[in-house]
Amino acid sequence: MENSSMYIISVYSENQVGLLSSISNIFTRRGINIESLTVFPSEFPGIHHFTFRAITTERAAQQVVGFIEKKVEVVRAFCFPDNLTSAAEHGLIEEYLNKNRNQ
Amino acid sequence: MGQRLTGAEILLESLLAEGVDTVFGYPGGSIITVYDKMYGYSDRLRHILVRHEQGAIHAAQGYARATSRPGVVIVTSGPGATNVITGVADAMVDSTPVIVITGQVGNAMLGTDAFQETDVVGMTGPIDKWTFQIRRPEDVAPAVAKAFHIASTGRPGPVVLDFTRDAQVGLADFEYHPCTHIRSYSLPAPADEAAIEAAAKLIDDAERPFVVFGQGVVLSHAEEQLKAFLKKGGIPAASTMLGLSALPSDFPYYVGMAGMHGNIASNMMTQQCDVLIAVGMRFSDRVTGNPFTYAPKAKVIHIDVDRTEIGKIIPVAVGILGDAAEVLGRLTERIRFSFHDEWAALARRYDRVEEERVAIPETRPQEGPVNMGEVVAKVAELSGRKAIIVTDVGQNQLMGARYSRFAQTRSFITSGGLGTMGFGLPAAIGAKTGAPDRQVCVFVGDGGIQMTIQEFGTIMQEGTAVKIVLLNNNWLGNVRQWQELFYGKRYSQTHMLNPDYSLIAKAYGIRYRCVEDRAELEDAVREMLDADEAFLLDVHVRQEGMVYPMVPGGRRMDEILLNNEEWYRDGE
Repeated sequence: MENSSMYIISVYSENQVGLLSSISNIFTRRGINIESLTVFPSEFPGIHHFTFRAITTERAAQQVVGFIEKKVEVVRAFCFPDNLTSAAEHGLIEEYLNKNRNQ
Repeated sequence: MGQRLTGAEILLESLLAEGVDTVFGYPGGSIITVYDKMYGYSDRLRHILVRHEQGAIHAAQGYARATSRPGVVIVTSGPGATNVITGVADAMVDSTPVIVITGQVGNAMLGTDAFQETDVVGMTGPIDKWTFQIRRPEDVAPAVAKAFHIASTGRPGPVVLDFTRDAQVGLADFEYHPCTHIRSYSLPAPADEAAIEAAAKLIDDAERPFVVFGQGVVLSHAEEQLKAFLKKGGIPAASTMLGLSALPSDFPYYVGMAGMHGNIASNMMTQQCDVLIAVGMRFSDRVTGNPFTYAPKAKVIHIDVDRTEIGKIIPVAVGILGDAAEVLGRLTERIRFSFHDEWAALARRYDRVEEERVAIPETRPQEGPVNMGEVVAKVAELSGRKAIIVTDVGQNQLMGARYSRFAQTRSFITSGGLGTMGFGLPAAIGAKTGAPDRQVCVFVGDGGIQMTIQEFGTIMQEGTAVKIVLLNNNWLGNVRQWQELFYGKRYSQTHMLNPDYSLIAKAYGIRYRCVEDRAELEDAVREMLDADEAFLLDVHVRQEGMVYPMVPGGRRMDEILLNNEEWYRDGE
């Protein structure tokens, strides 16, 4: 068995009614408990940013991200282990999105 | 500025603009405005009135699978919506493009437990490709345009539009613009060049390459590309159940169906191949058995349009994200002309064993009751391989898949991933509606037919000339088979007392013939196929009929039962 640890799953999406519920269902279906959740408008107009924290395996986290990205309104989803290195990576991702915001 | 119309009219105009000429549905209180406006569209839009909403969605699925155009369903709120749920889940797992329009109560009544109000958005979100609640008339046309775009592109699937009363009765300007772009939804891009290169190299270096293809080949219209690829690479190929008919049954490189009740050659060769090329399939557990022992010697190349499928079940050496037709076309250009004659010839050795030990006893018995496989083989023989074969779920499905023979694509329609009993009869109605010039035969058991038997009324009213082959054994045969093999012959709740189907057929004005004796089978099948109208052929088949070969669930794919006692031993 793979080891479980805390993962951050970061989602950028259109702001649409019902999307939070259908994203959280993706965790529910796999029996993954959401430890914390924040949702707020991102710096990109009309795009919301969800941050989920959940204890799971790398493989399950990747799979959850794939299924979240399949949702039509989701622009991008990422996951990374919840530690300091990753926080730095997250900063790079935000920078990338900033650069590509007009595409 | 367009015409000013009600939302209900905008829906109908939008459907016409998308080229829809047939819808399947059932009226009710929250969709009555749409039905009122539909009254004036009867010359342009054919509405098939089903007898239960589940029938509407399965018919739409059958229509979509036969024609490659999205099926359209219109039902009311509350129970109308919940009755289509099974079909939505079925269409999702089997990648079938369906547009479901559910009526919904007025905006002010949402969330108040109003009469026939239910949370359609909440219920369908986890089991469909896209759900949208239309609350304003000006949102109708854009929502329909998006629905068609989403349902029919990428990996197709069902889309649900929850259409509130306010949006139906309100007025808006109508102008239709088909949807071609959604910023958060990307269409399949050309496949990665490096991945194609890596795959071509693996294939060129392979000694025992093997293809397992699925419905993705049909959905991406990649049949010709697949043939060219197999010919150039000299590669034998097996089909999943949903991929059946993508290759003609007599195509030289085709070795049969893979999976639990697939052909011995497919499963044995899967376990021996050194490179496995999976095309538009998802490694269902009915295909892989125990995934940890599946294709143990193979480097796996997985071609799929859905990123989440690649590596989901079986780890890949090369994953190619893209459309099957495009990827196969490019791969064919890259690979060398090859022959693997000795390897490919293995299939014939396995086929001989299967023919002798399983197929001949099943399809050409000399005595005793009629066998299920015998009926299927007779239909295949007398229909000249031209029919669209629809099945329900269970032994009828497995026999239908094993012994039908195909000459053209889109000729096998079944409920694969969800395994929905009751699917067959309405799906056949939909298939015949979409392909009226083709013979449509449905194999169904006495369990499954009773789950949606009310659709005999639809057949009667619409004059749909479907040929229904009832494989009647008074058992829920597939469950009975498992009880016999794995549950100590404790036949818990699988025996069924049947009604007199001749009287049911008579009540609905459907031609009927019963076969109990083998001597009558050929004549009866001929009479059914020659009929210009619907026909119910009630064949009383062997009660304890079993489907073999069988790889019991969770086993290795080369652990194959040939009958109740014997395992297949390689080298026989």
